[in-house]
Amino acid sequence: MIQFKALLSKELKEAFRDKRAMMMAMMMAVMAPVMIFAMSKVMIKEAVETPAIYLKVSGAEYSPKLIKALGDENILLFSDVPSDKQIIWDERNLTLTIPASFNQDMLNGKTIDIYLSADYSEKANLSPVRRIKNTIIHYARAIGYKRLLVRGIDVRLLQVVKIIEQDTSLPNSNAMIISMMLGLYLLMAAFMSGLPVAIDASAGERERNVLEMLLCQPVSTVKIVSAKLCCASLVACIGVLLTLSLTSFSVSFIDLTKIGASFSLDTFTILSLLLLLLPICFFASALQLFVAFQSKNFKEAQSMVSMIIMLPAMVPVIMMFVDDKPKWLDWLPISGQSLIMEDLFKGLPVSWSLMAFTGLVTISMTILLVLLMAKKLRSEKVVLALS
Amino acid sequence: MIEVTNLRKSFGGAKKGFFGKKENPVIALDGLSFTANDGEITGILGPNGAGKTTCLRTLYGLLKADEGSATIDGINVFDNPLAARARLGIFPDKFGLYERLTAYEQIDYFASIHGLQGDAKHQAIEAVINDLEMTELAHRKTLGFSQGQRMKVTLAQALVHQPKNFVLDEPTRGLDVMSTRVLRNYLARFKEKGHCILFSSHVMQEVAALCDRVIIVANGKLAAQGTPTELCELAGEINLEDAFVKIIGSDEGVAA
Repeated sequence: MIQFKALLSKELKEAFRDKRAMMMAMMMAVMAPVMIFAMSKVMIKEAVETPAIYLKVSGAEYSPKLIKALGDENILLFSDVPSDKQIIWDERNLTLTIPASFNQDMLNGKTIDIYLSADYSEKANLSPVRRIKNTIIHYARAIGYKRLLVRGIDVRLLQVVKIIEQDTSLPNSNAMIISMMLGLYLLMAAFMSGLPVAIDASAGERERNVLEMLLCQPVSTVKIVSAKLCCASLVACIGVLLTLSLTSFSVSFIDLTKIGASFSLDTFTILSLLLLLLPICFFASALQLFVAFQSKNFKEAQSMVSMIIMLPAMVPVIMMFVDDKPKWLDWLPISGQSLIMEDLFKGLPVSWSLMAFTGLVTISMTILLVLLMAKKLRSEKVVLALS
Repeated sequence: MIEVTNLRKSFGGAKKGFFGKKENPVIALDGLSFTANDGEITGILGPNGAGKTTCLRTLYGLLKADEGSATIDGINVFDNPLAARARLGIFPDKFGLYERLTAYEQIDYFASIHGLQGDAKHQAIEAVINDLEMTELAHRKTLGFSQGQRMKVTLAQALVHQPKNFVLDEPTRGLDVMSTRVLRNYLARFKEKGHCILFSSHVMQEVAALCDRVIIVANGKLAAQGTPTELCELAGEINLEDAFVKIIGSDEGVAA
């Protein structure tokens, strides 16, 4: 016990005196809330406002009423574009072609072909195209209804079935994007924050020739590894805690009611998130230490470990594309936690037994990694970075 | 007491080479045996690449010998490495310092690893700091220490638990005259108390002045052993340096 205490206190002293590592660890915590704040601002703006769209119309003179209807929805002619936005809208190249026979066809009651051409794969065009289509459909439908009414037909005959939609999602669920991002960031913080400490304590120490000295001492490698793990994961935990508290603070500045959503991090949510992420912190640090001990030098360790950081980012993204999630995803580390986190953010009841089980799996994998590392450190190849 | 019997170690032979050819293994130790007694200073001499460091690393348990055994106070280092290391003070070949800790904290760290605590620990640390005359270094961070200062810290952390056996790999490289003297006196006092000291060196005068017994290693084997005077007589030379060159120089060797 004296040995472990000494090992741990030395690791902590070294870690907290390493200003760069600390900066790196805390950077994630500061970055996340800022990003979330900025991104949600942009998204709310897109969802709520209807910015002007500039459309290149040929044959505008054949249907002034349609043009007026478009104009009412803030869809304007390209000829009116202000000079500072001209290049953007010229590039987007949204064109509408109205045939010369518009009036005649209208009188004859024929279907009029209007051509809307745009690059549909361009994300920036999606919302304008949708708005243009909706406006034209509305305009056409209004005329169609009038035609029926004039002929003494009830318009409701057209509506055979009416769907009444009931959204059962809780008000929280609408803030999905924010919560998804926060979930991702929390996982990233768990992986990122402890990273510099983990590399420094393993590959760094070997490069500075202090690891060899330590391994000559009468202390078991399990103790050495656990001390390093405790230190790195403590830093990771601090990183997660900071991310969480700063985010809940910054989200309170965003007016989510504009898009009919609410998002709050109450004490219960924060506590369950911490409970959820604690095992992840240990697992992440163990993984980093494991890879760093295997690599030949500091640089190799850095690049190898950076790849591990992709892990938490990839898993939730991949899971977004899997609609029917297999059961075992609930149990695995990272994927299990991110699924529970999703429920937590949606305000759904959390399955505590599942949470405990994932945590247990994560912790046992961590212990496995520790034992494996302890074994590796007894082999001369790893110690002296021979092979 | 440190005892090494028939130690063999080779590197790189087990693996197959790139095109399936077997790489030639480097034989570092080829049946080396010697004994370092309590109350004596034993010096290991040998040209570069003779296997001195490999042998000492095997003693710490960092390397596993292919064959043979090494015991420290009768404890086999392969079977019971922790107990064996507890009786060992080590000054390794490659050494670094924790640059974000002060010298005192480092010595404290190693003292705690050896199980010292409380007042006993603080007294031990103070004693070793005074003995090595490094009081003014003690509370400075070791970043930027000179080679000699680093050596002193490493020595202090190896000696703080007063090990029964003490292994030093070229301890005097980089030390100034005063520090070397301090170290020599310290080792001599250690010897008086009945400790076993084993050290490797390239400085002949030092070995001649300090060592009770000298072991000469060449090509991973024991080339000769005895007191410095005995070795000189064996080679028929007046000083140890000439004797050393003669002993390792010829293929057959005087000792063969």
